[in-house]
Amino acid sequence: MKILIVDDFSTMRRIIKNLLRDLGFTNTVEADDGTTALPILQAGSIDFLVTDWNMPGMTGIELLRAVRADEKLKTIPVLMVTAEAKRDQIIAAAQAGVNGYVVKPFTAVALKEKIEKIFERIDAAK
Amino acid sequence: MSKKLEAGGLGDFESLVKDGAVDLLNYLEAGNFSGAISVIQELSDARHKSFYKEVGTLTRSLHDAIRDFQVDSVDLAVEGSVGDSGTKITDASDRLNYVIELTNSAANKTMDMVDNSLPVANELKIQAKDLRKDWNRLIQRDLTPQEFRELYKRIDTFLQYTENSATALHSNLNTILLEQGYQDLTGQVIARVNDLIRDVEERLVHLVAVAGRVDSISGIEYEENVPEHDDTRGHGPAINKQNNPEVLNSQDEVDDLLSSLGF
Repeated sequence: MKILIVDDFSTMRRIIKNLLRDLGFTNTVEADDGTTALPILQAGSIDFLVTDWNMPGMTGIELLRAVRADEKLKTIPVLMVTAEAKRDQIIAAAQAGVNGYVVKPFTAVALKEKIEKIFERIDAAK
Repeated sequence: MSKKLEAGGLGDFESLVKDGAVDLLNYLEAGNFSGAISVIQELSDARHKSFYKEVGTLTRSLHDAIRDFQVDSVDLAVEGSVGDSGTKITDASDRLNYVIELTNSAANKTMDMVDNSLPVANELKIQAKDLRKDWNRLIQRDLTPQEFRELYKRIDTFLQYTENSATALHSNLNTILLEQGYQDLTGQVIARVNDLIRDVEERLVHLVAVAGRVDSISGIEYEENVPEHDDTRGHGPAINKQNNPEVLNSQDEVDDLLSSLGF
C-alpha cells in the first residue's frame, strides 16, 4: 500500500506521515501541491491519496477532480485533510467524489477512523 | 492636516452650486440667457477649482500615508532584522516570514524529539514485556538455575537501559517544552503587525474619505462590485466559526453533513 501525501506545509506532511506510520502504512510519498502530485499519480503505483485543499498552484479539490476525470486514476481512494470547513466546500468535495473528509486540527483517532472506514467500504464493494 | 479646511472646500462648492442653481432659475425665468450661461460658466470653473484642490489634498494625504509607513520602523525592530531601507509594510512582511520560519522550525524540532523518543519508549516496552514473562516464571519457581543467572544479569542490563532511556526521554521532553517558546516570540510579532494593519486601515479610511470628495465633485460613480470568493481556492482555517452558519465547527458536524449526503 503506497500512499501519496499532498500538503504545502512540510510539517503537516510530516505529521500525517508519522500518523500513517503508526497505523502501519510505512510506504509514503509526498508532494507539495496538485501540480507536483499529478505526475506522481500518473506514474502509477499510488494506492491511496491524502490531500490538503488550500495549496498554491493546483488546489486539493482541483486535484480530486483531475483524479476522478482520469480513466487510470479515478478509482484511487482520496482522503481530504484540510482546514476548509465551509458547508458548500464539503458538499463540493463530496460531489467531486471524495472518500473521506477530515478537518484540521484533527486527532490521530479521527484520521485512523476515516482511513479504516474507507478501506471497509472498498472491501465491502469487492 | 486640517480636516475643517478640506471639508470647507467641499462645503463651499456645494453652497456655490445651490446659490448658482437659484441664480440660474431666476435668470431663466427672467429670460436672461447670457446671465444664465455665465452662471453655468462660474459653476463649471468652481467645480474645476474644487476638483483640483481635492485631488491636491488626496495626493498630499497619500504622500503623508506613505511617508508615515516609512518612519518609526525602529519601534518594530527585532534582532536587527530591519535595514534602513524598506517601509513598515515590507518590514511587516519580513516579520510574518519570521513567524513562518519560527513555527516551522519549532514544529520540526518537536517532531524530531518525538521521532527520537518513540523508538526508546517502544524498546522499553518490548524489553519490559520480555522480562516480565521470565519474571513470572521466577515467581512460579519455574526457572532453572542457569536461566535464573541469566535473568539476574538481564535485569541489571534492563535497569541500566531504563535509567538511560528515562534520561533521554526527560531531555527530549524538556527540548519540546523549550521549543514552545516560539508562541511567545511569534505572538509578539503578530501583535505588532496587527497594530500596523489597524494603523494602515485608519489611514486608508481617511484616504477613502478624501477620494470620495473628489468623486462627488467630478461626478464619478462606481458600480458596487464585490466578487464572491471562490471556494476552489480555499479560505484557510476559519476564524470565529461560531458566528458563521456556513462553517462547520467540528469533525462531528462534517461527518453528520457527509452522512446526510449518503456517505
